[in-house]
Amino acid sequence: MINIDIGATAVAVLTLFGIYALMAISLNLEYGVAGVPNFGKALFVSIGAYTAGVTYTRLLPLLAGLESIHPCGPSMGAALQLRSEIMATQPAAGFINLALTFALAAAIAGAVGFAVSYVTLRLKEEWFLALVLLVGGETVRILVRGADDLICSNNGISGVAQPFYFLRDPGASSFLFMLLALALALAAYLYSERLVRSPFGRMLKGLRENEDVTRGLGKGISLARAQIMAVGSLIAAIGGVLFALNTGFVNTNDFVVNLTLDVWVMVVLGGIGNNRGALLGALLIAIMDRLAQIGAIILNMGGSEIEFNYVRFIAFGLILLWMLRYRPGGLLPESRLTTEAHEVVKRVIGAAK
Amino acid sequence: MPPALLTTSLVNTIQIGSLYALMALGITLTFSVMKLPNFAHAEYVTAGAYAALIVSLSGVLNPLVIMIAAFAVGALTALISHLAVFKPLEGRDVSFYTLILSSFAIGLIIRYILFTMADYFNLFDLRIAIPLQILFREGYLILSNLFAWVVPTSIVLVIILTLLLNRSPLGREMRALADNIILARVIGIRVERVKNYTWLLVGGLAGVAGALWGLQTAVHPLMGWGAIISVFAAAILGGLSSFSGTVMGAYVVAFSENTVMLFLNVNYGLDLAFKPAIPFIIIIAVLLLRPQGFTNLIKRAGDLGR
Repeated sequence: MINIDIGATAVAVLTLFGIYALMAISLNLEYGVAGVPNFGKALFVSIGAYTAGVTYTRLLPLLAGLESIHPCGPSMGAALQLRSEIMATQPAAGFINLALTFALAAAIAGAVGFAVSYVTLRLKEEWFLALVLLVGGETVRILVRGADDLICSNNGISGVAQPFYFLRDPGASSFLFMLLALALALAAYLYSERLVRSPFGRMLKGLRENEDVTRGLGKGISLARAQIMAVGSLIAAIGGVLFALNTGFVNTNDFVVNLTLDVWVMVVLGGIGNNRGALLGALLIAIMDRLAQIGAIILNMGGSEIEFNYVRFIAFGLILLWMLRYRPGGLLPESRLTTEAHEVVKRVIGAAK
Repeated sequence: MPPALLTTSLVNTIQIGSLYALMALGITLTFSVMKLPNFAHAEYVTAGAYAALIVSLSGVLNPLVIMIAAFAVGALTALISHLAVFKPLEGRDVSFYTLILSSFAIGLIIRYILFTMADYFNLFDLRIAIPLQILFREGYLILSNLFAWVVPTSIVLVIILTLLLNRSPLGREMRALADNIILARVIGIRVERVKNYTWLLVGGLAGVAGALWGLQTAVHPLMGWGAIISVFAAAILGGLSSFSGTVMGAYVVAFSENTVMLFLNVNYGLDLAFKPAIPFIIIIAVLLLRPQGFTNLIKRAGDLGR
């Protein structure tokens, strides 16, 4: 039998949950609340990861007061050693670098999301946006992979160390990283809860239900859509930075359509339009991911021929189909929004009866 | 550009364009009859390719038998995905995105079932066991027996499909469905039956395309998925509604992926790694600048001819 370290597994699952929660909340804001079908989630997540890949190789040595080494090609090993050393010995440089990475990733992704939403105005049919985003994500992936020097094309960048690497204690370091991921996810959750309950959030739901009526009520829908795309994209990019730090690698191969589908599975499973649903979906998928990994190890040790990773994708497909067909609202369906005015009206009616 | 490269790339354009046409016609047909952008279409191609591979590995080397097997498996896969996934969602007023997601989901399931199967029986990257022969060699132009199979078969199938759609009762019923499903039902067309036939046709064509593809490259569970964007680009160039536009689109996409890419590579040193970006750029450009694709052009040409 294999020994499963329950503590380490829990930390890994919760870290993954924090990262997935950021992605799921961002998709929920865009699609669940505002009705913008973002089939390019992988693009915005990847912006975060690529930013981390660039800052950890170019900016980090500068912050540590050292000469940066070209991360690709023959100097690859030296560059990797340099950033590992900095991360191990100069925590301040590491933290400043991380903060700048978050800021940069959020700014780039937010700007891209804002700009992309204006593309809708030019599209003949609404669902073309889904296609443009899907295809745009893949295009960017191919271009980044093709641009040799950015993140070393097919090799990717390794040694994107977690910020608490300097502790030299893998357990404590990953525990603190988990807290960071959970804190960011919590912040995103609280922010999006506030947003959904605000007048702006109600307008977005109106936009989702009927664009013409919302426009008829005098709301600027293009700007609203651009704003929510910007917010969603920057949350996704922060998730992308954590995604890169969590695995320690930045590789274009991680940001294919399957990642986008994973996020959709989370939102559809948890409940479209409900932030709590997005959290639940992210948690369930994080647990399933880890279970699938453990299952794969057990199966391989048992000498089984079946590759468990394939079973994971089949299971995801089945979950998606099942939910769409039998529980289109998800496990935690969207609840009714009531405003204070609504409460007052209800009280008045109640008193009159 | 050296003439040798030019001729080779043009031969590739015709060969690959014909395959794209077979697949893209299926996408256009599903979209116009079923109002569904079917991303699972790629997996019917892969399923057909694997059917062809398995038949050829079992010792049957008659290409006709191989094609028929591929057609049958592709058609069956398509029909099953319709009956199990898309049909139950019909009439439930589901959003368009639910349909897109469902097509992704069923595609994912089929693809990874094929992965599991290929893994279990060691069927990765094998070629359909028809030996390669050089039929024709004239200067730089080399045509193999694969070319002789792929191109005529695709062209004949495209012609048969066009005749079927324009001349046969079934084709008329399909077009009626595409036009207005409620009216089609009112005048007594058995809508469900027509839909089933459409799915069989769409899947079968995709399956044959997979078999033909497997003749020239290796069969892999990702082969269909890898081509789906090029195929969608072709269908979008056809405005997702015109069949002649789709065929034209298929050759345009193949031409830009092969000849244009090679031209840019030789003359401007553009890395061939950027080749997969071409169909993406075509899709985005068409959707943004000319969402009707070739359709109006063709209509205008027809009007001029009259």
